[in-house]
Amino acid sequence: MNLRVTKHHIIRWAVQFVFLTLFIIFFINTRYGTPVSFQNLFFRFDPLVFFIVSIAYRTVISAALLSVILVIATLVFGRFFCGFICPLGTTIDIFDLFSRKGKRAQPNFKNGKYLVLLFLTLSAILGASFLHFFEPLVILERSLTLIFYPVVVYFTGLFTLIPSVVYTESALALVVFAMILGLNFVSQRFWCRNLCPLGGLLALFAKISAFKFSFGEGCTQCGVCEKICPTGAISIESAKIDAGECIECLRCQYECPQDTINYKISLRPSGFDVRRRQILSTLGASVLLAPLAKILLHQRLAGRLIRPPGSIPESDFVNTCIHCGKCMKVCPTNGLQPCILEAGINGIWTPRLVARIGGCEKNCNMCGQVCPTSAIRNLPLEEKTYVKMGTAVIDRARCIAWEQDKVCLICDEACPYNAINSLNETIRDTTLLRPFVDERICTGCGLCEARCPIEGRAAIEVFSISEERKRHGSYITEEKVNLRACEEKVEDVPSGFIIDN
Amino acid sequence: MDEITRREFIKISAGAALVTLLPKSLFSANNQNVPVIGVAHGEQAKLVRAAVDLVGGIKNYVKSGDVVCIKPNLSFASNVDCGATTSPEIVKQMVQLCLDAGASKVMVVDHTIQDPTLCVERSRIEEAIIDKKVSLVTLQKERQYAEVKVPQGKELSTIQVAKVIQNADVLINMPTAKSHSATGVSLGIKNLMGLIWDRGYLHRVNLHQAIAELATVIKPDLTVVDATRALTSGGPGGPGNTAILNKVVAGTDLVAVDSYTVSLTQWYRKSFTGTQVKYIKAAADLGLGEIDTNNMRIKEAAV
Repeated sequence: MNLRVTKHHIIRWAVQFVFLTLFIIFFINTRYGTPVSFQNLFFRFDPLVFFIVSIAYRTVISAALLSVILVIATLVFGRFFCGFICPLGTTIDIFDLFSRKGKRAQPNFKNGKYLVLLFLTLSAILGASFLHFFEPLVILERSLTLIFYPVVVYFTGLFTLIPSVVYTESALALVVFAMILGLNFVSQRFWCRNLCPLGGLLALFAKISAFKFSFGEGCTQCGVCEKICPTGAISIESAKIDAGECIECLRCQYECPQDTINYKISLRPSGFDVRRRQILSTLGASVLLAPLAKILLHQRLAGRLIRPPGSIPESDFVNTCIHCGKCMKVCPTNGLQPCILEAGINGIWTPRLVARIGGCEKNCNMCGQVCPTSAIRNLPLEEKTYVKMGTAVIDRARCIAWEQDKVCLICDEACPYNAINSLNETIRDTTLLRPFVDERICTGCGLCEARCPIEGRAAIEVFSISEERKRHGSYITEEKVNLRACEEKVEDVPSGFIIDN
Repeated sequence: MDEITRREFIKISAGAALVTLLPKSLFSANNQNVPVIGVAHGEQAKLVRAAVDLVGGIKNYVKSGDVVCIKPNLSFASNVDCGATTSPEIVKQMVQLCLDAGASKVMVVDHTIQDPTLCVERSRIEEAIIDKKVSLVTLQKERQYAEVKVPQGKELSTIQVAKVIQNADVLINMPTAKSHSATGVSLGIKNLMGLIWDRGYLHRVNLHQAIAELATVIKPDLTVVDATRALTSGGPGGPGNTAILNKVVAGTDLVAVDSYTVSLTQWYRKSFTGTQVKYIKAAADLGLGEIDTNNMRIKEAAV
């Protein structure tokens, strides 16, 4: 059986283009008001996400079970994902068109990707996921969200009324993205061949795949294929094509002057050459870094780390969240922001609600809908409104209703749950309505903090006081429902009325 | 003493009778200042036309070719039934009236408080965008505003007002009748706060006075209050108690319209008059209109 077709690589470019376009379309459509069933499909087909998150969370991530399909396909056809589908690979290929010059050195560090994979696996077993630093789809998605999206919105905002988007952390995301592209100057597809753990995982399956590329009769050992192979998969000397390294770009097949490279069924697995010392040092790195990440995770002293509504308990959250940024992209108020160090070193790029930028809208549950791993649970809209993310606290010294006798009460106005009671309080002979937080009703949505008219830090701020985080089960309790249904809101007659005595 | 002959008596009586048939306006010196309030109640689909007809009909306000801005209250992303936003059905009737009167362009404008996408979705305001000439404009960007001086202002010296209404021929103010935790009620004058850029500033100064001063620079040609239901507590965002009134109140005198609407229902389970609402009082003190409901001509129509 021989599937050889010339100019296959043109088809490859077309397929790559289609998938990159799809990825970007899914990205653009990650917004409030669009159906979300498909927007996280790439991540749900991603076996590395499934594998690492399932280990770190000690739970099978059912949403990502689709990735079994990709594993099976790889077991049959090899590592075609990297050459045909991976949108980061395509991005690297496009960048490669502009970075061809001066690229001669071909350092061989192929084992790197297996070691990264091993490192991720061991760390996940030890209870810390470092997936977000290495997962290619995550890196691309996050780069689109934190770097490109605000820039595009900025320029479109010059001509349209689209509100601007800001993120508290874009620089480090840019560094990671630039490094991956920059490595291309060292050698072609440096990232894919040497570092990508998804490539490494797929390579393991590709090594025993049914279809492989191999040399047929008539090879003159001219060496063209070895020279042009972007992943260094071909060795003329041993007349072998490593199915683990081959990303099936078809270039060798097209370029071979003798037409001797075939794609056919071969049940002989490709070999492995990982040194014991490399494995041991990876093991050492995991043993050192995984606990460190977990320890640093607990620096939440400020109490201002507010997670999106429905986020699972914190210790699981940082491991289950793949830090892809979809929730931040979809958040209509721009309130979900990437952490820098607020959640520890390993919590970088995880979402947190920065209510001063935007609160959590009562009628929106998009973050849970788009989360590919359900680190933010996909709660029905009604239930989401019952999640207690934290509690608002009034800083009376800053509050102009308390300190300056101003008729403000914007927090009361902003609160969609009636958790702010405006009650008459006499201070220095002035009787005026002043705001009080009913902590039983307050959900910590932060809409009050977003709108507080004080310059700079708000006079009402959300803290993670009595936040609720549940792995399973409903957030709706009878008590909460009763409290909210209470017709008699505690409410004094507003100061805007002149009362006759 | 001169006696009046029978003939003279008949002459005088006839004259007096004739005089009573003449319009009242010829005699009363201040009668021209008595504002007219049109109140329609009954079937929702006919309320706006009926109320506007009571105050002279739409042709009095919108001429053929005019660019019209309609300012409903879309501030909050809460359901229409809650009463925090103007009913789309009521806005739609006004849009239709303007189109019938030959408006070349009708813009439904508001500076929403919560996220505009969510406010537009929940207020269902897109139901009022019924024609190619009609558009919805949310005023979320600072460059949509231009500074205006407030000559009569004590709290405000300048204010950034939406350019779109500064450039329009006609401004129709369409508040919804609702309570307000700070100002007591939120009606016509308060609704103008959705046409300025920095609302927070007004809360940092004397809010009631500042709102009144706003009405010295933003002058709607017509105010039509959606009082089909009034959010009588829990305002301005709700949820709270709602009273079903099935009414629409129209008028050109903002103060009069607000003052009259206050009397339509109880607020926070108490009865108030317009004079008891600080911002309405402040507006009346600035000479912006009539606050005493006894000095208004209330025309009512049932539909």
